[in-house]
Amino acid sequence: MNTKQADEPLGIFFASWAVKKAGRVPGNIPIWVGILSELTEFGIFFTAYFIAKFYYPEVFATGPQSLNTTIGVMNTIVLLSSSYFMAKAMASIRVDNLKKCERFLWLAFICGCTYLCLKTWEFHWNDLQGYSTSTNEFFTVYYYMTFNHFLHVGWAACAILWVIFRLRKGAYSAKENSGLEALAVYWHMIDLMWILIFPLLYVLR
Amino acid sequence: MKLIGKLEYYLFALISITLLNTFLGENFQSTAVVSVLVALTVMYKGFVVIDHFMELKGAHRYLRLMMKTYFFIFPSLIILTVFY
Repeated sequence: MNTKQADEPLGIFFASWAVKKAGRVPGNIPIWVGILSELTEFGIFFTAYFIAKFYYPEVFATGPQSLNTTIGVMNTIVLLSSSYFMAKAMASIRVDNLKKCERFLWLAFICGCTYLCLKTWEFHWNDLQGYSTSTNEFFTVYYYMTFNHFLHVGWAACAILWVIFRLRKGAYSAKENSGLEALAVYWHMIDLMWILIFPLLYVLR
Repeated sequence: MKLIGKLEYYLFALISITLLNTFLGENFQSTAVVSVLVALTVMYKGFVVIDHFMELKGAHRYLRLMMKTYFFIFPSLIILTVFY
């Protein structure tokens, strides 16, 4: 699907939702369909968390104390930094600074990989402590939520590599960068999900 | 240059809030005050990322509304857990 097709109105929404009236859509429409799906998926996880916490308050009060908070904090800082680098990459492409844009994309990619390494180490650390998906209800929710998020960071990191490849091929410029922007909004969405996951699993007792 | 300065300021604010929340969680049992503080700061973090990193401020108003509503509802549920 080319960018022109992706930006064409679908004709299934209210007229007030049209780009002319409501404002421009960052990236393209397909990526927002994807983001809506992801928000729904994570919304179900968060709802499951609150329901489980209602039925098992003691397990959820002690659960966060069993986790490695340091890794959780490090991962939060790494993901926030990756979002910052992605925003800087977008700012660079808007002034046609391709080299700077690529540099920031690599930094965002490195942050993504760092997150994956830290998370893998955290899962291993949990395993050494004897925690698994079946330890209790808290850990079931914890693994369900964090492993799913881990997968999202994994494939979005692969998408960064693809965008870097396309950038080098000259696909993006100050005038045309919707593909890059689509990746950027998706990456920020993943960061947003972690912003919610972190306090629920690591901070609140 | 001004925009770049803003992005760095927001990154610093987001990291500071993360550290503050962790400090609260580690040093205080989850009292009502801590839960409300954490919920409000998570809401603020979400709004900052939506408006300034995702750049929805000034973009499609309904997409921005949808994202902000999402980041209003779930942190609000944290406050609801106080009454469990």
